[in-house]
Parts: sequence; C-alpha cells; structure tokens
Amino acid sequence: MEQFIYYIRISLLSIKRAPLPYALTIFILSVGLGVFFANATFYYQLNSDPLPHKSDKLFFPMTLIVPHDCNDCLPPRILSYSNVQKLSSSDIPSAKAAMYSANGYARLHAEQPPVPVTLRITQRDFFSMFDVPLRHGSVWPDDNARDEVLLSRAMALKLFGRINVIGEQLLLDDRYFSVIGVLDHWQMLPRLYDANGRNHLSPGEDIFLPLETGYDLNYQSRTNSRTFDQTDYRKLSTEGRTGARHMLQYWVQLDTPAQQQAYRQFMLNLANAEKAAGRHPSPINNQLIAMADIVDYFGDDPGDIKAFALVTLLFLLVCLFNASHLSLNRYLSNQYEFSLRRALGASRSQLQQQMLADVLIMAAFTLVGALLTGYACIQLMNQLLPNNSLFSHWNLTLLLSLLTITFACSYLVTLYPSLRASFGNLNQQLKE
Amino acid sequence: MITLSNLSKIFRTELIETHALRDVSLQVNEGEFAALTGPSGSGKSTLLNILGTLENFDSGDYLLDGTSVQGLSDAALSRLRNEKIGFIFQSFNLIKDFSIYDNIELPLRYRGLKASERKQRIEQALELVGLHARRDYLPGQLSGGQQQRVAIARAIAGEPRILLADEPTGNLDSLMARQVMELLEKINQQGCTILMVTHDPDQARRAGRNIQIVDGQLHDSTLYEPLSAQSA
Repeated sequence: MEQFIYYIRISLLSIKRAPLPYALTIFILSVGLGVFFANATFYYQLNSDPLPHKSDKLFFPMTLIVPHDCNDCLPPRILSYSNVQKLSSSDIPSAKAAMYSANGYARLHAEQPPVPVTLRITQRDFFSMFDVPLRHGSVWPDDNARDEVLLSRAMALKLFGRINVIGEQLLLDDRYFSVIGVLDHWQMLPRLYDANGRNHLSPGEDIFLPLETGYDLNYQSRTNSRTFDQTDYRKLSTEGRTGARHMLQYWVQLDTPAQQQAYRQFMLNLANAEKAAGRHPSPINNQLIAMADIVDYFGDDPGDIKAFALVTLLFLLVCLFNASHLSLNRYLSNQYEFSLRRALGASRSQLQQQMLADVLIMAAFTLVGALLTGYACIQLMNQLLPNNSLFSHWNLTLLLSLLTITFACSYLVTLYPSLRASFGNLNQQLKE
Repeated sequence: MITLSNLSKIFRTELIETHALRDVSLQVNEGEFAALTGPSGSGKSTLLNILGTLENFDSGDYLLDGTSVQGLSDAALSRLRNEKIGFIFQSFNLIKDFSIYDNIELPLRYRGLKASERKQRIEQALELVGLHARRDYLPGQLSGGQQQRVAIARAIAGEPRILLADEPTGNLDSLMARQVMELLEKINQQGCTILMVTHDPDQARRAGRNIQIVDGQLHDSTLYEPLSAQSA
C-alpha cells in the first residue's frame, strides 16, 4: 500500500510538471466520454427490460380474425372487444388483462376547474401482471363494471393533497367515482404494455378505470383504434362490444413453455373455429409475442437514438485517439525519467504498476469531467427531445458502467505511451 | 568478479556498422578501483554501459560473479542492477522535482525495503557524502559538486558491490572534482569495486588500475602503485 501511495505521489508530480497537456488530455477524454455516456443513458433506458423476471412470461396475442379478406395482412396490433372475449375464454393463462388508454377530466366536485387526466381502462389482473405497487387500498375484486378507480400517487397528491384517499369521491368527467386504491411510486420504463404506436416512451396514466365501465361510459381510445365494419364508434357500450371496433391491447401471462404452446394451440383452434363459422375470411395469422420482444416485433426501435449512439461512439474513438497522442507526447517527454528508474533497478512490471497509478488518477479526473459533460448533454437533449426526458436518469448500473468505461479508456490512453516509454535504449535516453 | 570474454559490440545504422568494442577480454577483481581511459569515441562508455547492463552486446560473454548476464530476463537484469550495481553519471541524472532524500530513495524503493531500513541507509549515505543537512533540498538548490555527491549517495545507498562512474567529475571544477575523487576512494576503501571512465590522467593515476581502450580494443591494462604507497 505504501508503495502504491508512492506511485500516486509520483504520478501527481508528473502532472505538475506539465499540467496543461494533461488537462487537455483529460478534457478531450471527458468530452468524448460525457457525450457518449449521455447518449448511452438514453439508449440503455430505452432498451432496458422493466420486468426482467417475467418479460418472457407476458405475451401479447394478436389474431387476424377480422371481417375483411386480406392475404398478406399482419394481424392488427389491437383487438376488438369480442375477440378479447374469445381469447379470454381460455383458462391456460395464469393472468390476463385487456386495456386501452383514454383522456378525461377530473376534479373533486363540480365547482372546481377540471384537471386533464389520462386513463388506463383495464382489468384487475393488470396490476399483478405488471407488478404495479399499491400504497393504499386494493384493486377491483373482479372485472365487472363499477364506479371505482385507482389513482397514481401523483394524481392523488394533485387532487387531494395527500396519498391516503381511500373511500374519497372524485368527479371523472360528469360521473362520481370512489377511490379504492392509490399506487405507490411507479414508473414502468419503458411502458412495454403500451408498446403499439410507440406509446411505451410516454409517462404512465393518472387514473385506472375498469374496462367494462370504460365501454359503458363510451371512453374512446386516445391512441390506436380501427373499425373493420359499420360499428358506430360512439356506441361503444353496445356496438363496440359486438362489432369489429378494434382498440384493445390484450396481455396474457404464460409462465411455462407448456402453457405457451397450449395457448398457441388454443389460438389456432379459435382461428379455425372462426373460419369454419365464416367470421375469418383471411388466411390464419396468429402471433403471440413476448413482452421482451414486443418493441422489435413492432419495429418501433427509436432509430434516431441508435444512430446518435453510433455517432457518439465514433466521436469517443476520435477523442481516444487524440488523447492517446497527447499522452504519448507526455510520456515521451518523461522518457528520461523512465530510463533512469530502469537503470536504477525498476523492472518493466514495476513501471507498469506506476502506469496503473497514472491510470487511476486519470480515470478519477476523467470520471468527474465525463459526469459533468454527460449531465450537461442530457439537459441539452431533454430540451431538444423532450419526449425522451423520462429516459435520462442515471442508476447504479449506468454509473458503474461509466466508471468501468472510463477506467478502460484511461488504460488504453496510457497503455501504449507507457509501453513506448519503458522500452528503448536506456543509455541513449539517459544521455538525452 | 567481472569477467569479459571476447566481448564485441557493433552499432548498426542503415548505411554503416561501427565496431564499438572488438573482442574485449577483461578480468576485474573484487575491491579494485579501475579507470577506463581512452580517446573520445574509443568505446569506454559503451564498455561501462555493458558492464552496467544498460546496453546489450553482440558476441562474447560477460560473467558477473560467475554468472553470465546474457539471456537474463528483464526482471533479473533489473534486480541485478538494483542490488549489485551503482551508477554515477556525468550529468548526475537526478530528478529535478524530487528532494535529495527522494532521489536517493529511488533505487531502494524498487528493492522493496521497508521504510525504516530505507531511511537508515539514506541517512548513512548522506552522512558519508556530507549532505545530511540538505536532505530536503531540491537538486537545483545545490552546486554541481553537491549534486554529484547526491548521485554518489544514491549509488551507494543500495550497498552495491560495483560502482560504475561515467566521467563523474566531467562537469565539475577542480576543487569539487578532487572532493568527489576523495569520496570515491573512501568508498573503494570500504570494499566497493569501482570502474570509472575518465579523460583526466591525474584521476586515472589515482585509480589502482588503468584500463585503456583505443578503437574498441583493450590497448593496455596498467596496474599503478596505490597512491598511499607512492606517497610513502
């Protein structure tokens, strides 16, 4: 340890000899790493798995059961109410939930100005399937229509100024609802249950309403919807339940490969039965996509972030090259000292230990610089791309990755120059 | 102690080959004080560098304490330099922003000695060269003679068996040169073998032996009567 502290002291002395080139090296590395890290943050968050323990167990079934003949159509990303009923008739999934999102206005009583809110209109299994934490209360006991809602923590605070509001009433549009549950802090990122139409990059909803109530009250989908027949979209509670009005996302939980195979077979049987009944004119095309693959399946990968990630990686490489060049100059100007140390008995491995101390100091300075640069870049990107701002936070994994990358870059920048400096003609270098 | 057999060294460039040393054979015994003399470019510094393992040779053999240095690994050569050989350079080769103490400590650090032992050895060496009071000075704050004494302290702190000095008084005035020579004689009297490159015939005469090199060949190896015997 004492020897290591000595190496650190020597490194600091060496920096003091030529602080400007050293500062320039740190600056170049910090900028390269900071810009790269800012973009890597978005890329990592956008591609992270919000439910790693069950993302391969939650599936999004799609089927081409529509009253419309199309030979090369993909099954629509959204289902009709009647198709959901048919797909829900199986007991194979351990949980299942249909859902859509809508807009509304909420207030505590009619005299208050209304607050615009987003609604997730869904079924009770939604909360267990997506690990939604409840702070107070409980979810609905079944999937029937009822005038009961659950609130996000932020919405409870916004409307009531407190979190424990179980039993309180609120006016949603023109109807009173009882609050039966309040969520704890919860922000699933990305919200893969809402991946169709790239909605998974947006914030979560404020109020959760039973699916049947949503249909009864004629809440329209605020995202994707499509009608394959003459269904009047204004009559959701009646025609919407029987016609080919497609607007529901549907998720099932299939815990084992056997369950998954059985459900695929169930979907095939269903499509065959529908075809036999004359309600499936198109070729059979069923899809059962795991949540882990849903973004890839929809082809909604954020290409701009990916392209930018590539550019910042190239920029980092250029910075590494420049920093190496500066570092090489610094080491070569210190070559005399390297040679003197070798002449006095330092082995190359001992010089490499000295290099490790150099790397540690460079990594420490660079880490601070990269964090500051990265933070500044993220703030700038949040201004330029506000839709991605949810994905701009750092976590321990990201910070540890930055630490590792910074150390690796510092090592790369130091490795070649120090090797160059520790080889060569001792006698010649001592004379120079 | 040192045995060179038919040792040759050639410096090659794209156009020419220069034979710096040709078939040099030499025996140096423990406790000798030998001067390496000869005209500029004759190969004496090259010989000293080879003896110090700072430079390789092309053919022949170099035995140090009966062991050939050829083919030794970098780690083994480093250990050999660190433990058996002390260097004194003409231009002192002190690190400018290290204190005197830190400069002397440098080779001891690489030997892995404990702090207390390092301190004891450094203080003994400083005592011997008479610079104990200036241990915290920087080299730039000392005169040339004092800096060379620091370099000598650095060379002897590791208690080497051989001291290789390349024109140790070349950058000093006559008074300081005499002090340095007296110091080297004192160290030699304590049993350390010294090989010193010099152009100065007076200094060469003060050494017990004069090894003369001309055009890379050992021309003459004269044993002088020790100075003490001369004065008697």
